[in-house]
Amino acid sequence: MSAGPYNYEYIFKYIIIGDMGVGKSCLLHQFTDKKFMADCPHTIGVEFGTRIIDVAGQKVKLQIWDTAGQERFRAVTRSYYRGAAGALMVYDITRRSTYNHLSSWLTDTRTLTNPSTVIFLIGNKCDLDSADGSQRDVTYEEAKQFADENGLMFVEASAKTGDNVEEAFLETAKKIYQSIQDGRLDLNAAESGVQHKPPQLGSDFTPNKDPCSC
Amino acid sequence: MTGITDSESDASSVSKRLNKILETRVENDTNTLEGLKELSVFFKENTLQSRRNLRSKIEKRSLEINADFLSAFQVVKEKLDSVYNDVKAMNESVQIMTTQLHSTKTHTHRLIEQTLKLQSDAKKISMQQQVAEAFIGQFQLSPEQLALLTDSNISQSFFEALDKVHSIHERCRTLMQSGLRTVALDIMEQMSRYQEAGLDKLYRWAQFHCKGIESIEMSNLLTRAMARLQERPVLFKYVVHEYCISRRAVMVQMFIDALTSGGPGGTPKPIEAHSTDSKRYVGDMLAWLHQAIPNERENILLLLRDCSKEELSKDIDEALSNITEGVCNPLQVRLETVIQQETSPSNLYSVISLLKFYHNIISSVIPGSVLESVFIEQTSACRKQFFSLLEDIVAKMLQDRVEAPPSNLTPAPGVLHLLALLRQVLSVASVTENRQVDIVKIVASVIDPLLQAVSLSAARLTTTDMAVYLLNCFHQMASTLALYEFTDQRLERLQAQSDAQIDTLTSEQASSLVANLNLGPIYTILQDSSDAPLSQIPGMEPECLDSFFGKLEHFLMMPDMLLLPQINYLQSSNHRLEIQRRANEVISAIYRQLYQRIHDPKNMYSNPSHLMPRSPEQVHELLLGLKEPKKNENTSGIISL
Repeated sequence: MSAGPYNYEYIFKYIIIGDMGVGKSCLLHQFTDKKFMADCPHTIGVEFGTRIIDVAGQKVKLQIWDTAGQERFRAVTRSYYRGAAGALMVYDITRRSTYNHLSSWLTDTRTLTNPSTVIFLIGNKCDLDSADGSQRDVTYEEAKQFADENGLMFVEASAKTGDNVEEAFLETAKKIYQSIQDGRLDLNAAESGVQHKPPQLGSDFTPNKDPCSC
Repeated sequence: MTGITDSESDASSVSKRLNKILETRVENDTNTLEGLKELSVFFKENTLQSRRNLRSKIEKRSLEINADFLSAFQVVKEKLDSVYNDVKAMNESVQIMTTQLHSTKTHTHRLIEQTLKLQSDAKKISMQQQVAEAFIGQFQLSPEQLALLTDSNISQSFFEALDKVHSIHERCRTLMQSGLRTVALDIMEQMSRYQEAGLDKLYRWAQFHCKGIESIEMSNLLTRAMARLQERPVLFKYVVHEYCISRRAVMVQMFIDALTSGGPGGTPKPIEAHSTDSKRYVGDMLAWLHQAIPNERENILLLLRDCSKEELSKDIDEALSNITEGVCNPLQVRLETVIQQETSPSNLYSVISLLKFYHNIISSVIPGSVLESVFIEQTSACRKQFFSLLEDIVAKMLQDRVEAPPSNLTPAPGVLHLLALLRQVLSVASVTENRQVDIVKIVASVIDPLLQAVSLSAARLTTTDMAVYLLNCFHQMASTLALYEFTDQRLERLQAQSDAQIDTLTSEQASSLVANLNLGPIYTILQDSSDAPLSQIPGMEPECLDSFFGKLEHFLMMPDMLLLPQINYLQSSNHRLEIQRRANEVISAIYRQLYQRIHDPKNMYSNPSHLMPRSPEQVHELLLGLKEPKKNENTSGIISL
């Protein structure tokens, strides 16, 4: 049989949140284009990126909404949490203040998304933690503990080197896919953050009964 | 000798013969044996008689034998004769046959020729048949294909048939070039008819089925159908239009669902659950729309996947505009409600900011769409409502609450209230660039009437009170505005207005100092350019001056003592200090002038340094708290009193 109308089975909606300058857009770029944007301008409101990935043999299209970290856009970006299946919460391991704000980001995420939304914590800029002259301001252990206490998945990543960037996006997708398999995520409901695009066999308007002809 | 020889030779020949006879062996001579054997058949008795008769007997026997022979041969001859006759007859018939054959041969020759001709004809014809078949194969549709083109189903083979029609049409050009104009034109016409019929059918089919783009089977056929229909822009547009209508309905339904029923199990909550929070309500609706558009774009791209990409982007934009047209009405109704019902200017301003932000997004995603025009319309309606609300509030407030200035000359509560409102509006986090025009207008709508009201309410006060009150109000306004961008011009104007009031107050303060120090007459005399020595002018006698110096000494010790009481009501310490400084400068300048004149010998004071123990520098330092700059003496100097 030929390929379906879509070259994927599911769409997962993600949002990326976190303080200004923690590298949200860079993570997205690294993930979608496998490139590091050195002089990434501040995001105006909300940007959008997609990539098709493979989860347990299924093609999944990630529809990623990258939000502005600037406070003035908060009124806009808060509206994008609605119906996100995955939320990537980013802080900068070299700036403690961005870590300290995580609980407020987490509160927003919890109140504005579904209970089944997968939240993934990313400590970005781990490339700046080199043996000689580390700029690290938040230890791995501390963040890991925060993640465990709040039931979040967690990695330290680098949008610059690409370390763990794939993993963060893929692990989130795996977890979401698992929720679908477990039936915790209702695909038929609107705004679940996941759209299923299955091959619709035997639909009402099948003009040709012979499946070989296509 | 010869005789001898002869006899000798005779003798030898006889002997030879003899020898020969002797050597002859009867048993070896078969002929003789045969003869003898034969002889023995009839020669039975060896009698004389019989020997005498032998010869005749033999001859008679020979005769008999010959007669037998003859008679025997007679038969043979007769047989031979008959054979001869037979052969002859045969020959004759063969002869006849030959001639017959010959004549037949001449006869059949034409037949053969005819046959050969016919054969070659047959070959030619069969070849022509092949050619004709090939021609038909190339230039006509098979009955099955024809049936495919006309029956109601669309399948992959339909497209093959349609392809064939197309390629036949194309090939006809070659046909035409090779001179077969009539045929070519006929076929072309025929194919055009088929093509029209096929595309027409395809169009009807696609129009009916285009909503099934998300199904796997349909999508493949649909994308091919759309690619075909692209040749007929009108049909193509109709199908796209039909598609848009169906998607439009889907999108409206989804929008209404998000508004009223929310996500699974009520999370996320329906958007309308927050309809009392205008900012969130509007923000959620617009964000929902923003996020719905990529899916629609993807679907339409899928539908037009196989189409030629040239000029397609215009079609896609149009289609998206068409699809999103459906949500315009529900959106507009809700926006209008929010705009009408919102009573807080700052919330309304947030809504404007959101509308402008999403207008930017929509205008880049689907430029020129109806949705965009809704944004334009609603933004402008919202702005109108916002300014009218703001003006109403300001007007009402100024009417009701801007009372007479309080006795301590601080800005009236109404002023503070309006400035708080302005602060609230200006603090709305801007999510768009280019808000200068709005800010200038907002500031003007609050500050202009406020300034007017303040001036009006201050009019009843004394000059000094009025100046202090106005300065306090201006100061409050300026410190509010200084926090925000795009207020520079306004701040400059306020500064200029403040400066005027500061000048007034300086002048008042200086006059008050001059009066309190009894400096008035002295100053008047100093300005008078009379030639007479100063010490002889009445009022400038050392005794008279002494009273001034006494008071001055007192003043120098306690500079604040002679400050006008209202000056202390100034909220800005800068204003206060500046007025005091500038008033004191006036005194310092007069003192310097007086000092110079008294020390001038021409004025004939007996002991000037005793009379004026303090140098002007000392006085300056005491009054202004710093060493007087040596240069530019009359700086802000003497103002008219």
